Amino acid sequence: MEGGNSIIYGLEHQTRALSPQYAESDAIRFFIGTQSLKPNSNQVHVVELEEDTGELHTKVFKHDIGEIWHLRCSPHDAAILITTHNTYNSDTSQCSMGVSIFRLPTTEVIPKDLDAMTIMNNRNAEDMELLKTMSPEKPEEEIRCAEWHPMDMNRIGIVLDNYVSIRDTSTGEQVGRVAPEGRSRLKFSGGKWSPQGQNQFAVLQDTHIKCFDTRTDCSKAAWNIDGAHRQLARDLDFNPNRQFHLASAGDDAALNIWDYRNGKEPIFTRTDHSHWVWTVRYNTYHEQLLLTGSSDARALLTSAASVCDDEEGLRISQVLEDGVLQSYEQHEDSVYCAEWSAAEPWSFASLSYDARLVISRVPLHFKYKILL
Amino acid sequence: MGESQKDSENPLNIDGNNFNSEMYIECLLKCATLRQVMDKEAEVVTQSQYLQSEMQTLVYENYNKFISATETVRKMRSDFQIMQEEMNKLSENINKITTFSSTISENLKDSGTTVNRLCNTRQLLDKLQFVFLLPTQLNKAIEENRYMDAVNDYTHAQRVLQKYGSQPSFQSIQTECSEIISDLKKTLRERLLTPDTTASELAESVGLLRQLQESDSSLQDIFLTCAESRLQQHLKSLSSIVDNVDILEWVEKCNNSLLADIGIVITCYHDTFQNKEILPEFADKVMTQVFQLFEEVIKKPENTGTDILIRGLDKFFRKLQAMSEIISSDSVSQKAVDVVVQCINHKASMQYQIIQTQFKENLMKVRQSLASKGTESADLKDILSSLQVHLMQKIQASLLDLMAFLQKNLSFGLKPWCGKAVADACWTVISETLINISDMVKSMASLQASNNIPFELLLVLAKLCLEMQENGVSTLHNHLLKLLEESSPGLTVGNNDTSNIMVSLSTAAQVALDSEVVFIGQTAAQMLRVSVLARDWLRAPEPRGPRAVCRRVVETLASADTAASQLFPTSMKPSSDSSRRTIWSRPSSSFSPISRIFSERIEVFSPAGADRAALSNGALKVALKALVECVRLRTFSRHGLQQLQVDVHFLQQRLSCMGNDERLLNALLEDALSSAQIRCVDPQLMEPSIVDIICERG
Repeated sequence: MEGGNSIIYGLEHQTRALSPQYAESDAIRFFIGTQSLKPNSNQVHVVELEEDTGELHTKVFKHDIGEIWHLRCSPHDAAILITTHNTYNSDTSQCSMGVSIFRLPTTEVIPKDLDAMTIMNNRNAEDMELLKTMSPEKPEEEIRCAEWHPMDMNRIGIVLDNYVSIRDTSTGEQVGRVAPEGRSRLKFSGGKWSPQGQNQFAVLQDTHIKCFDTRTDCSKAAWNIDGAHRQLARDLDFNPNRQFHLASAGDDAALNIWDYRNGKEPIFTRTDHSHWVWTVRYNTYHEQLLLTGSSDARALLTSAASVCDDEEGLRISQVLEDGVLQSYEQHEDSVYCAEWSAAEPWSFASLSYDARLVISRVPLHFKYKILL
Repeated sequence: MGESQKDSENPLNIDGNNFNSEMYIECLLKCATLRQVMDKEAEVVTQSQYLQSEMQTLVYENYNKFISATETVRKMRSDFQIMQEEMNKLSENINKITTFSSTISENLKDSGTTVNRLCNTRQLLDKLQFVFLLPTQLNKAIEENRYMDAVNDYTHAQRVLQKYGSQPSFQSIQTECSEIISDLKKTLRERLLTPDTTASELAESVGLLRQLQESDSSLQDIFLTCAESRLQQHLKSLSSIVDNVDILEWVEKCNNSLLADIGIVITCYHDTFQNKEILPEFADKVMTQVFQLFEEVIKKPENTGTDILIRGLDKFFRKLQAMSEIISSDSVSQKAVDVVVQCINHKASMQYQIIQTQFKENLMKVRQSLASKGTESADLKDILSSLQVHLMQKIQASLLDLMAFLQKNLSFGLKPWCGKAVADACWTVISETLINISDMVKSMASLQASNNIPFELLLVLAKLCLEMQENGVSTLHNHLLKLLEESSPGLTVGNNDTSNIMVSLSTAAQVALDSEVVFIGQTAAQMLRVSVLARDWLRAPEPRGPRAVCRRVVETLASADTAASQLFPTSMKPSSDSSRRTIWSRPSSSFSPISRIFSERIEVFSPAGADRAALSNGALKVALKALVECVRLRTFSRHGLQQLQVDVHFLQQRLSCMGNDERLLNALLEDALSSAQIRCVDPQLMEPSIVDIICERG
């Protein structure tokens, strides 16, 4: 782990769901969901990196409700997570998607004693407590993802093909619905709560980014960035520290940073990947560090220091130049997910379709540059 | 001679000096016979007798001569006596004459002095008359506008008047004169201030005023203000006609009015005031305005004709050269050089702007013709060559046009600075044109998606940039060198750094090629994406043939391939460089990450090579990688999987002729199929033979 070496963890099935444990502030933990059409074969893996030893510890939970397309740990409770899943029903020969909330029996992963170790080594998948399952209005509707409200622990936003359903987690009832007016044929490909706007939900619709206020009738966008990418926009992430800034990634292989008050031109743009970029994440502590994953089988650590300068003299761009800091090439298939650790600002994980999780660190010399 | 000497010394020789008669006789007696002695005696007797008679004759002759000489001397003595008498008479006469002449001169002395006095009086009277008549003379002269005469007369008389001014009679004259003169001064000042006085009149007036002892500084001020107002007037009239007349007329007018006046003003100023400080500044001010006006004139559209421009410029420059001698200010001659250089640069910038506009127009035409042709394949080679030939011709024509500045009959044509300026301007035309065109290509290529520019045009432009980079630049450079050598031997291009142009052209070509590849790839990818995402693969019927979208994809890729083949020849070597990195080929039967380790990565959006196969490879990669990714987002039934199997097989058959990297094609297609297998609820593939049949039937 030191010196920039990465740790690789392999799973049996294809994977495209990864989440850090947001509510955990000490342990570096990541949750992975598998994607397999075989019945009762899907699992949720919890991977913990023991910082002192550099060892990986895992715990496996059963996820028999179907293959996992998306997974998010709750920011309010470390033991709670939400999965977006898909099941094939051979009788009707139809797929149906849903969103389920689970509670883990324990958040501990590292065994405390020898007994626990032996249990672990058996690698028997444990059960999770299913708290709630929510289905779309129509069974055949596809669900893109489900996102926790940043403040209200009883509220989630579910992005479907062409609307966003705001649900109450305790009842499962729909409390709000975001759908752009007019019969737009352009489908949603993802979405996220705005951390500042609290009740604002931003969605990706084809090449555009639109943000709706869930308290209003939600037919008009509060703000939008039209044509954020020349091809489909795949992912977005809000700058955790700087209001109005967000990063987006798309099929034009570009990473763009926007000030959404003026969505005409990106304030920062890089095209370092050689295929579609599926995911982009701001570092929670150091906004100039961005992580992207792409179907060119690479995860890139990019610096966007030039748009992170403070007015009060402290110039981040003097320390760090813009551009790719490090390319992580341990993957051999498309990287659909990449996430920073919620507990430690320098660690991150990237997950490729061929079920390989790579946990890496920001190279030390960049770390020192940023810190010193 | 020796013999004769011997003879003469011989005592026996009777004619010799040492003749010894005794010896001779003795010898004769001894040697000769009697008879001989007898003969000898007779001979000697005869000879002595002959000598005797001759001597007598000589004595007589001498005596006669002496007698005649004595007679002559006696005659001469009598003649001299007469002469003596005559001489005495003459001296007596001369003495008499001398006496008379002294008497006469004494008599004439008195009358000479009188005449002298009379002459002096007359001169004085003349002067007096002039003084008395002066006022009338002055008035007359002033009336007839002969100010010069008046002033001259006045200055002549002034001394006298000053000397005798105390006498009453002169006093009145003096007052009268000074009144007249002050009137005259007033008139002259007025004339200075009236706007329609010519510069020469102005100069004259100032000169006269100065003779009339006006104070320098006030006069200088008046003079300068007058001159300035006059020059301003000229400037005004010149600027008013800028829009109405052509450059020749304007320059003519400028030379004759303003520049001529400046010349007069300056000469006059220097002559009159002997002060060389203030004026150049003032002249500079006016000249700056003139140059500004001239710039305006140059920039007028109707003066863009090289011939007329050069003739006008020549005239202007000549005049300025002449001016700079008068003004003796470096800045004017420097300014004149600047004007010519500026003119050349202006012309050059006009040229490349025109070329650019024309090129743009040509591109528009090509675009329209490509758009109107629709699906028919256009002859891209034809378009390329017409664009290229047109461009080269235009550049060469404009270079030739600029050479006109180097004509030998022009005042600046042979100056080295002019040659350098022209050479630089020509090079600027070449480099600016090419860089502008590369920028245009770049911006077109990057706007490709939103502007809907036909991909054929991108190919043509990329090829054009490459051609220009390979041959065009050096051709133009050589052409320029040849032209310069012809116009002015020894002149070369100072700055011939082509690397900038080359880089610009090659990046433009690369951007255009990349854009074309991405455009074609994305078009195909978009078709595949929509078709995969929109279809319900779970309820797909048994495959009957490849789906229609596959045909359209093949058509799209094939048409681009055909277009590329017209311009970019196929190189035989496999383009492994463009496929360094991507996904991994693996057996379609199973998903095995290990097999990927042994195959090469493929870079999907990567710089496209400039040949047909590389271009096709690039488009294929983009299209098929999209297929793989989209397949992974869907769930397939058995029939859905089999349909995809048919599609993949069809694509493999039809696309293998494009590009030159079959391994790449197969890897991507296998990836698509294996991804579909993973995403299939009942992964059973069809028999390959059946797939073959279905594909053929379809």
